[in-house]
Amino acid sequence: MSDTVALLPAYAEDGVVAGAQARSEPDWLLARRREAARAFDATPMPTTQLRPWKYTGVSDLVIESWAPWSPQLTIEAPALDGDAFAGSLAEAASDATHGDAVRERLGSVVTATEGRFIAANAAQWEDGVYVRLPRATTLEKPVVVTLDATGAPAGAAVYPRILIDAGAAAEASVVIRFTSNDQPLLVSSVIEMHAEQDARVRVLLDDRWGAQTKEFTTARSRVGKGADVQLSSLAIGGQVIKQTVESLIEGEGANSTIRGVALGDHDQHFDFVTLQDHIGPKSTSDVEIKAALAGASKSIYYGVTRVEVSAKGSQAEQVNRNLLLSSDAKADSDPVLEILTSDVIRCGHGATVGPVDEEALFYLQSRGLPRRAAFQLLVAGFFQSVIQDVPIDGLAEELETLVVDKLAAAEL
Amino acid sequence: MTAMSDKILEVNDLHVSIADKPELQIIRGANLEIRPGEIHALMGPNGSGKSTLANSIAGSPAYEVDSGQILFQGQDVTEMPADERARLGMFLSFQYPTAIPGVTMVNFLREALKARRGEEVPAREFLGELRETLKTLKMDESFARRYVNDGFSGGEKKRAEILQLGMLKPSLAILDETDSGLDVDALRTVAEGVNALRTPDIGILIITHYERILNYITPDVVHILVDGRIVKSGDFALAKEIEANGYDPILEELGIAGEAVTA
Ligand SMILES: Nc1ncnc2c1ncn2[C@@H]1O[C@H](COP(=O)(O)OP(=O)(O)O)[C@@H](O)[C@H]1O
Ligand SMILES: [Mg+2]
Repeated sequence: MSDTVALLPAYAEDGVVAGAQARSEPDWLLARRREAARAFDATPMPTTQLRPWKYTGVSDLVIESWAPWSPQLTIEAPALDGDAFAGSLAEAASDATHGDAVRERLGSVVTATEGRFIAANAAQWEDGVYVRLPRATTLEKPVVVTLDATGAPAGAAVYPRILIDAGAAAEASVVIRFTSNDQPLLVSSVIEMHAEQDARVRVLLDDRWGAQTKEFTTARSRVGKGADVQLSSLAIGGQVIKQTVESLIEGEGANSTIRGVALGDHDQHFDFVTLQDHIGPKSTSDVEIKAALAGASKSIYYGVTRVEVSAKGSQAEQVNRNLLLSSDAKADSDPVLEILTSDVIRCGHGATVGPVDEEALFYLQSRGLPRRAAFQLLVAGFFQSVIQDVPIDGLAEELETLVVDKLAAAEL
Repeated sequence: MTAMSDKILEVNDLHVSIADKPELQIIRGANLEIRPGEIHALMGPNGSGKSTLANSIAGSPAYEVDSGQILFQGQDVTEMPADERARLGMFLSFQYPTAIPGVTMVNFLREALKARRGEEVPAREFLGELRETLKTLKMDESFARRYVNDGFSGGEKKRAEILQLGMLKPSLAILDETDSGLDVDALRTVAEGVNALRTPDIGILIITHYERILNYITPDVVHILVDGRIVKSGDFALAKEIEANGYDPILEELGIAGEAVTA
């Protein structure tokens, strides 16, 4: 595959700068683009020697052969004034009112030099979402972002960029829905979240990718004193889904929750990496990731919950459960606890990989449910614990429908 | 009408072993016939194979039928999957109902009723029937929103089984120790629930090791299962006899005392 690919000029420094100029980006952003292009050039692809990439080999994937393409971006948000903003990142970056704030925050949580997918995103993103809530601003309804790549040509690459900046005691909820067609598509997203003191941020990543989409996402939050960040991910579609979700739990009493649901079939490949880094004292974290796998699909989980010396009196919970719905499905689970202080309240972790509970299956079948209907009900129930506290109206019902539809044709 | 189709259930010389342990044969030649409108009681010491027999009739894959037959309404169902048997009208109230976290009673019942009827049940109609059945069983409506058997008390589990029985309206109901773990009031409610379901067409097999429940639901026939075989059948008086004297006199009379059975 890699011997004949064309390396597109859009990825070279000149191409990146030309793109930024064509979009009339401000000087500071232009300079960042140049740095990102250089970082991209200087950074090798990750190898399977690196623990987070152990089971997801990308040596065959040549990023610069995928043509950058702008998906249809729709942002439903309440009208805001003053310093508050919820809308296009590109607009905000060039805007007199918001430009400085974007400049200060963008790239401060996830830096372009960290890795090749991230550098590609920093160099290539054309638009994205910016949510900024000044002190004590509360959004009544979630900001709903739809990133529609169903019109993308085969071999396109999209680079979604999301920046959420919640000031002290602000509250925001953001739903990001991704869709694409069944042509080959590369997605590299970066999501940065800031939650200042007592802020509350909820993000739902709702992936409905087509059959040949490969997604590589890095989402990271910085969580201030008493703040609470929750990132939930629904991975239903796609061919390769690799999501790295990290929280720097910096403030005293801060909380980070990570939730994930994956439903696989055929040769779908999910790879979740999480980090809960407890820095502030009395901080709490909770990870729960569940995968239900049909066909020859596969799920990988590698997560570290670290309690630093400074994080005395912290509590952490980390769970990964994998339900194998067919004999060809596979899962690998590796939850890691690194506790560097002796002063912790409670740290727990658990991992399971196994088939559907035979007794539960028989119970449902003994009430007349055909095997497939029983699987549908059991899988929807299996996911329930992950999404019951994701505060999006109707999500449980919607997921149930997705599960039923997908398992109607899945290889069980 | 042939004599065969007169019977709801016919078990012929059934031999059953544990699927994982084929060498462990639990049911060793059981025979049973239940006709419409009849109530049969199956009694026997702990470990005699009552639940194994019930689960085999219902089609549990945990058990393997080595020989013999199970006929349901004249049809040989010995090799039929459990879900097909249930859709034909078989129902087993489990001795130990399984908890299914994440699946609400209401969703579960809706799917079960859809399967039993072979078509989608309109939401209004379904909810109407659910409310009514809950009321008959003196169960709060909030019960329907709980996860199937998850965190239920022993009594709640048994009521939940009877709730399903009431919704699914089977033609054969096997109640495996539905009376155990119930206080007198709960027992009466459950028994009333069962009695409310009685029609001239339904056959009922009550498994118990006390005759307590039989004071509320009077059996036509009482069978004693010992060591995987029905060793004696009789009328209600047989149950009374066991209540008064235990199983030992019967075992002695049959010359099978001292075998690996405990009361
Ligand atoms: N899955 C199993 N694995 C091993 N032994 C079993 C299993 N199920 C039942 N048995 C054994 O079979 C015998 C009958 O059990 P059971 O049918 O539950 O009796 P009862 O319901 O009459 O108390 C017991 O000795 C029990 O230990
Ligand atoms: Mg039993």
